[in-house]
Amino acid sequence: MSDKLLGSNLRKNILLTFVGIIGIGFGSQLIKMQIIEHTAYVQKSDNNSVKKVIQQAPRGIFFDRNQQVLVSNKPSYTLQILPAIYNTRNDSIIESILNLEPKSIKEILYAKRGYSKFIPRVIKRNVSFQNLVWFEEHKEKLNGVNIVVEMQRDYSFDVKGAHIFGYLREINSQQLKTQNDIYDLGDFIGIKGAEKNYENYLRGKKGYEFVLVDSRRKTIGKYLEGINDIDPTKGNDLVFTIDANLQKLAEKEFERYSGSLVAIEPATGEILAYVSAPEYNLADFASVTSTEKMNQLRNDPMKPLFDRASNSIYPPGSTIKMLAALIGLQEGIITENTIVNCKGGFQYGDRFFKCHGVDGPVNVTKAIERSCNTFFYKLILDIGLDRWAKYIRMFGFGNSIGLDIANDSKGIVPDTDYYNKVYGVRKWTKGNLVSLGIGQGELSVTTLQLAQYASLLANFGKTKKPHLVKGYIEGFLGEMKMFNYDDLEIPISRENLEIVREGMFRVVNGNGTARHIRLPNIAIAGKTGTSQNPHGEDHALFIAFAPYENPKIAIAVFVENVGYGGTYAAPIAQRLIKSYIENFDADTKDLAKL
Amino acid sequence: MEITKKISDKFDFIIFIIVSMLLGIGLIAIYSATNAHPTAHGNFQKQVISAAIAYVLFFTAYFIPYKTYRFIAVPSYFISLLTLIMVLVFGKTVYGAKSWISLGPVGFQPAEFAKIGLILFLGHFLTRQRKNPNNLKDFMLIIIYSAVPILLILLEPDMGTAIVYVMITAVILFWSGIDLFWFFIVLSPIFVVFSSLFGIAAFIISMLIVIALLFYFKRNIFTNGTIVVLNLASAYLFDYVLDFLKPHQQKRIESFINPMSDPLGAGYNILQTKTAIGSGGLLGKGFLEGNQTQLRFIPEQWTDFIYCVIGEEFGFIGSILVVSLFIFLFLRLVYIASHTKNKFGSIVIIGALALIFTHFAINIGMNLGVAPVIGLPLPFMSYGGSSLMVNMILMGIVINFYSNRRQQI
Repeated sequence: MSDKLLGSNLRKNILLTFVGIIGIGFGSQLIKMQIIEHTAYVQKSDNNSVKKVIQQAPRGIFFDRNQQVLVSNKPSYTLQILPAIYNTRNDSIIESILNLEPKSIKEILYAKRGYSKFIPRVIKRNVSFQNLVWFEEHKEKLNGVNIVVEMQRDYSFDVKGAHIFGYLREINSQQLKTQNDIYDLGDFIGIKGAEKNYENYLRGKKGYEFVLVDSRRKTIGKYLEGINDIDPTKGNDLVFTIDANLQKLAEKEFERYSGSLVAIEPATGEILAYVSAPEYNLADFASVTSTEKMNQLRNDPMKPLFDRASNSIYPPGSTIKMLAALIGLQEGIITENTIVNCKGGFQYGDRFFKCHGVDGPVNVTKAIERSCNTFFYKLILDIGLDRWAKYIRMFGFGNSIGLDIANDSKGIVPDTDYYNKVYGVRKWTKGNLVSLGIGQGELSVTTLQLAQYASLLANFGKTKKPHLVKGYIEGFLGEMKMFNYDDLEIPISRENLEIVREGMFRVVNGNGTARHIRLPNIAIAGKTGTSQNPHGEDHALFIAFAPYENPKIAIAVFVENVGYGGTYAAPIAQRLIKSYIENFDADTKDLAKL
Repeated sequence: MEITKKISDKFDFIIFIIVSMLLGIGLIAIYSATNAHPTAHGNFQKQVISAAIAYVLFFTAYFIPYKTYRFIAVPSYFISLLTLIMVLVFGKTVYGAKSWISLGPVGFQPAEFAKIGLILFLGHFLTRQRKNPNNLKDFMLIIIYSAVPILLILLEPDMGTAIVYVMITAVILFWSGIDLFWFFIVLSPIFVVFSSLFGIAAFIISMLIVIALLFYFKRNIFTNGTIVVLNLASAYLFDYVLDFLKPHQQKRIESFINPMSDPLGAGYNILQTKTAIGSGGLLGKGFLEGNQTQLRFIPEQWTDFIYCVIGEEFGFIGSILVVSLFIFLFLRLVYIASHTKNKFGSIVIIGALALIFTHFAINIGMNLGVAPVIGLPLPFMSYGGSSLMVNMILMGIVINFYSNRRQQI
């Protein structure tokens, strides 16, 4: 039994074989790890110790037409938690420091449990400076809790503009799913107004900083002196067509009323002021909007979240009369000298349509000046429903304008098809048409459409699509880029337009319905209107432009539930026109001096 | 007879150079892993001092007359047992195990020094007159003598060191001529249990290997059947053993099998260590340039994970150099053991080989992610004075026996 001896050759060989197997095994494992799979491990190692820190791009800010700041950014402190290394035992202490509801951290973490543990979750924005100090002091004990500086919208420039600017909200999981190449968990995204519609311009491009972290993911320095870092590119600043001073004034005028107002520069379609009242305070949306606050706004009977300027539709009242006059003139149904004798109303079949008074014999100019219903009752019957509707549409009614910051309503322009649909074929009479002549009945418009209509009248039938954003200042190069908007032109001759404009001039400067707003230095042309409201007090309307010869501003004012247009809407328009034109003239003079 | 023998006949330079190189590389790695470290920055200096003492002990062990070892074998074994009991009573708990005895400013681990006692004792016992591992009574005595320190160490508890003791006993028994079939019977359950950790497939493969070896030994069907049942039973009973393990050990075993089961917990070490070694590539990232090491991704890297510092900073070249040095060391030890006429010396050398080899295999295996995370230091390289000194003493003894290899007794 030689193999039972101490240190026999067999035993020696078994030992050597065993040593050899382990040696070859380790050798091949080393080749596998360090040579074959080397690249994968390098990647792992880099991911491990090199952390990519996202650098948020400052969002583009908002300027008015004169480079005044409308909305800007300000820094705020945001508390984040990195679930991978966070200890949930700290929940209650953090909640008590931040004044959060008990269990709210647990809820937030639970709601976002589907994302990687290494993505920080936002717990609270707008952390106060005192709290920030506390968290910095206790940093060592609060692993995974981080306070970062984030940019937040700053609305401290006295312009409300809630419906123009809109607001941002934290991106939801649905949006995140479809756009995860651009956004990260916790990012803000515009969800209303310009913030939403110009999101692509405003958000800029995130930067990345590569930092070295140790095993506890604590940052200990820059990676390769930062040569791979990418600086964030600031978002593009938007230049609005708004005139900040006019906008402020308009908002102030509407503090007492609900309604809307749109002022446009007629030649360019640039909206100078845009108000929907009552409105909400955008600052409430700057950081975290509580559901409570949101519900309060949603349930408010005054509907502050509703954009009346582009979405509220109502009959235009007498403001539409110029249109009928233009159709009549253009189609040769009437001339400048066609006279209608107003005896206080108009008999049509068995119905009597009333006028405001007894205007006696009126021509078209006088009919506009006096807002004589009788003249237009007769005129519209001569025009006929479908011809009338065709022209009405040319002026932008019955179609959405395609405003750049909101989906504006189409309104309603009734025609034969419409009445057949609503009342049934032959179930309606020309009596319906008579009301349309004075802007009552089914015809419904938005303030925005009325303002565009006023622009067309002011600028002799030519304007551009109304818009609120002129262009943007490119974030990287700082160049101003302009947006182009469609031209708008209507086939009405200048002579006919001049006849109608003359009427509008007399409304204010003659013996018209708005003579009380006449200004000694500025020639305003306008038209009052009262939109009948079956549910309460009538809505007051006024459209105007000024100066008469070379209009710089066209305006449509709509005040809800107050009564007569001349009394309530016209003075608002007057004050805005006065302010705007006087400032405009002053600026021009200053320029001339230079 | 030559009068002037070459000095290399009296002193084995191969072992001395290999061990010194490993020690030197270890110091470089410790320096890298601890420089500017908030708590461990002094460890390099401490290890240099330990190394100096270790060399003194090495030469002492080399120069004392080789026959001394036979005389001190029995006392050193019992002194070892005494220190192992003392550590359980007075010991300091470090990383969940009561394994340290503090003597003023210095501490030492009795379980390390007791290895020498066990090796000498087993060598002495097996080479006394008429002691034979194939004699059941003698065999049982050896098992009992080995089991006492192993149980004491398990009480600390130090699983890793207990495994080393088992391996020392097993390899010494093997070397001293135990019947291979008996040896197989004892070892096969261990093999099967270990394989079963990797799931049912590995378990079945290990059982198939056991059955194949049974055919090789050509025993009767009854014996074979008993052995198969024994193996199956041990794999089953191992579940209960797992319960006996400390939670951190259970977690380590679980993480070894599936590191991703707990990437920031117990599996963390394995992932980070593998990443460090793999990312080192062919030439490594350079001294003090490894980000895994320098950013301190691996906790206590200077002890059980010192190998991955080499892997990361010196790459494949450095890693394979260390493995090769160890393999040469083992080959040399086997060579010397089989050329030593003194049977006691031969067994002691093989005991030293078993000790260093087990540490080497488990430590590098765990660094490479092919063995479970069992806290065993890499001989000559890991930070730690006790282990370094014990290993250097053993090497001194080995070279001492080498220089006296022609002596029969």
